[in-house]
Amino acid sequence: MITLGNYLALSGIIFSLGLVGVMTSRNVLKVLLSLELLLAASNLSFVAFSKFNGDYAGQLIVFFVILVAAAEVAIGLAIIVVMYRRLSTIQADELRTMKW
Amino acid sequence: MSPYFFYFFAVILILASAAVVWARNPLYNVLALVVAIFSLSCLFVLLEAFFVGMILLLVYAGAVLVFFLFVVMCLNLNTIALDQAQQTRFRLWGIAVGLMFVASFGLATKSFIKAQTMDPSSIRGTIETIGKILFTDYLLPFELTSLLLLIAIFGIVSLAQGALSTGKGAENP
Repeated sequence: MITLGNYLALSGIIFSLGLVGVMTSRNVLKVLLSLELLLAASNLSFVAFSKFNGDYAGQLIVFFVILVAAAEVAIGLAIIVVMYRRLSTIQADELRTMKW
Repeated sequence: MSPYFFYFFAVILILASAAVVWARNPLYNVLALVVAIFSLSCLFVLLEAFFVGMILLLVYAGAVLVFFLFVVMCLNLNTIALDQAQQTRFRLWGIAVGLMFVASFGLATKSFIKAQTMDPSSIRGTIETIGKILFTDYLLPFELTSLLLLIAIFGIVSLAQGALSTGKGAENP
């Protein structure tokens, strides 16, 4: 029998993998991709809680999280494209200025 | 029947997530995330959240990740940039913090006794039920997300415009 605990454990593993990716990679693209993993892990626990508590609010929150993530990815990728044009690198360490 | 499906998709999800973090080629990172999102949406269907599962598949695998692929190909990274991109920092610290998170999540889930004994409810997240709630109780947040997307579009257009104008300036200073 699959319990809520199984889903929470899976979500924790995915969240930790994403966190390792965000912390260790220098590539800005990879940081954004790992951020998506963090969001996916939280979505999974929201849906699992929604199913086991019998409340639809969890699924609605996932819907909004997906929308916000889409907006965030679009802006993040636009910034990466501008960064590569200016600095011709996508290393996070090269971003030292707030304004150019 | 269901437990096997859960473990099958869970293993795929974990392997694909590991590939997102550790694969060498940026293209493989993005494609691994497509696989991860697909198995995640299969897990949503196992939890009977059909609408959210389909939206996840359409928006993520359909739009966001194609956008990622488009940017990876459009950047046309040269070999120097690719070599630099493979470098990692704080590798030991990152993995230590990740293991710490796994351990604390495991402890939290284990001590949350209710999680082991709770029975799944009979709710089904079909389009009908989710749509009814979305357009009654959650109407204001739903409308506000359109404002958020509008602001995101403004941001992207202004970023692209700034890049274009300064690109010209760099050519003839």
